[in-house]
Amino acid sequence: MKACKEYTRDFLAYLGGQLEKTREQELAKHLEYCSACREELEKTSAVLSMASSFRHELKQVMETVDWGHLSEKITEKAWEKSKRSSQKPVRFWLNLWRSQPLAAGLIIGLILGGLLTYSLFWSEKPEQRLNRETAKLTLLSDLIDRIDLAMARRQTINYLERSQYLLLEILQTEHPASDLSLMDRERIKQLLTDKKYLNNQLDDFRLLKARAICDQIELLFLELSQLSPELTAYELERVRQMVEEKQLLLKINLVKKELEQSEV
Amino acid sequence: MSQSHENYREAQVEFLLEQAKKGEKEAFMEIVARYQQKIFILAYSMTRNREDSLDLVQETFMRLFEKLNFYRAGESFEAWLLQISKNLCVDFLRKQKSRRKGNTISLEETGAELPSEKEDPARFNPGEMIQKAVLSLPEKQRLVFILHHFDGLKYEEIAERLKIASGTVKSLHFKAIQKVRAILAPQLGGGL
Repeated sequence: MKACKEYTRDFLAYLGGQLEKTREQELAKHLEYCSACREELEKTSAVLSMASSFRHELKQVMETVDWGHLSEKITEKAWEKSKRSSQKPVRFWLNLWRSQPLAAGLIIGLILGGLLTYSLFWSEKPEQRLNRETAKLTLLSDLIDRIDLAMARRQTINYLERSQYLLLEILQTEHPASDLSLMDRERIKQLLTDKKYLNNQLDDFRLLKARAICDQIELLFLELSQLSPELTAYELERVRQMVEEKQLLLKINLVKKELEQSEV
Repeated sequence: MSQSHENYREAQVEFLLEQAKKGEKEAFMEIVARYQQKIFILAYSMTRNREDSLDLVQETFMRLFEKLNFYRAGESFEAWLLQISKNLCVDFLRKQKSRRKGNTISLEETGAELPSEKEDPARFNPGEMIQKAVLSLPEKQRLVFILHHFDGLKYEEIAERLKIASGTVKSLHFKAIQKVRAILAPQLGGGL
């Protein structure tokens, strides 16, 4: 005899006590006269109790494991392995160098010979020298510009990272009302000050995107600094919404990645 | 657990992964600490052996460390990690079985030796029976069954972590129970 399909779908919810009252009563009534469904329900219940006995066994086994030690051990092992694999190529080139002393001597000789010939026979006309000097100056100003930009990028990444960390810490609080600790407020103040100094560097047109996100963060921190030290659940939720609506954390990640890539 | 809290949890994990990629040891250790028990539950559900499961946990994180750069932000990290671990467990079971029998067999065959209470009451063990039956389930049903019954997660939590619909989780769970019941029919007594 087969159990009735319209009832078997609700057996799990029935056994878990999650069925609506009326449906539960209906099913209980049906079970009184349907032996096939009763048998089916008993088997389902047996499977669930077997699963719970396995869960109990699992729990007991897990209690015997020192999880703190395990995570440390695994991390150490991973680091050791990465160190070993990064050392291999060095050893390979070292061995190659050792096994080829003649080739190495030859290469050094050629380079020295070339340099000597260059210095002996090279003569330069005045206009050529002038051109060379101008090129040198252009190169120098380019270099300074690049260094400035790299510094600005680094400082922006640093600012974004610290802001991201702080935002995560503030927003992950689950309690309805949480204290904005003295330290957090200090960090917000520091970040606001840093932003003021960063503004000059962010004026560069190549950092326009970063400027936009930094401005949004600054606005949020300004608002946070004006709130009372005890954040109410409503205020915390409003901050969360603001972060979510503006997709602030995602944008921080993207801008950071972009900055890091362009730094290379 | 609210959707926004889940988003922050994911953002945190992504931040930790980024730091770990840069060589921050503490960040990697935090990832291991957060997920090692979940991986252990999966491994133990498939091997039912403490030491083998601990080895598999370690192997999973070593593999994760090698593949850190392959993780794409926005994907479910937990589902990705569980997939790595599941593949290692399957390989482990295949090797173990072929060592015993001297040839390679399919994973489904590993759950085929279930003792019945009538045939051998001494070997009748509900924990072993359910573990072997779960091993015979198709991949997605098995994962949902393990996360729900052994890890104690609700349908909604499983859906959020695996990034699938809650209705799909429910349906996979229902099918898994039906199948486990069918596999264990001889042990439970009566027909299907």
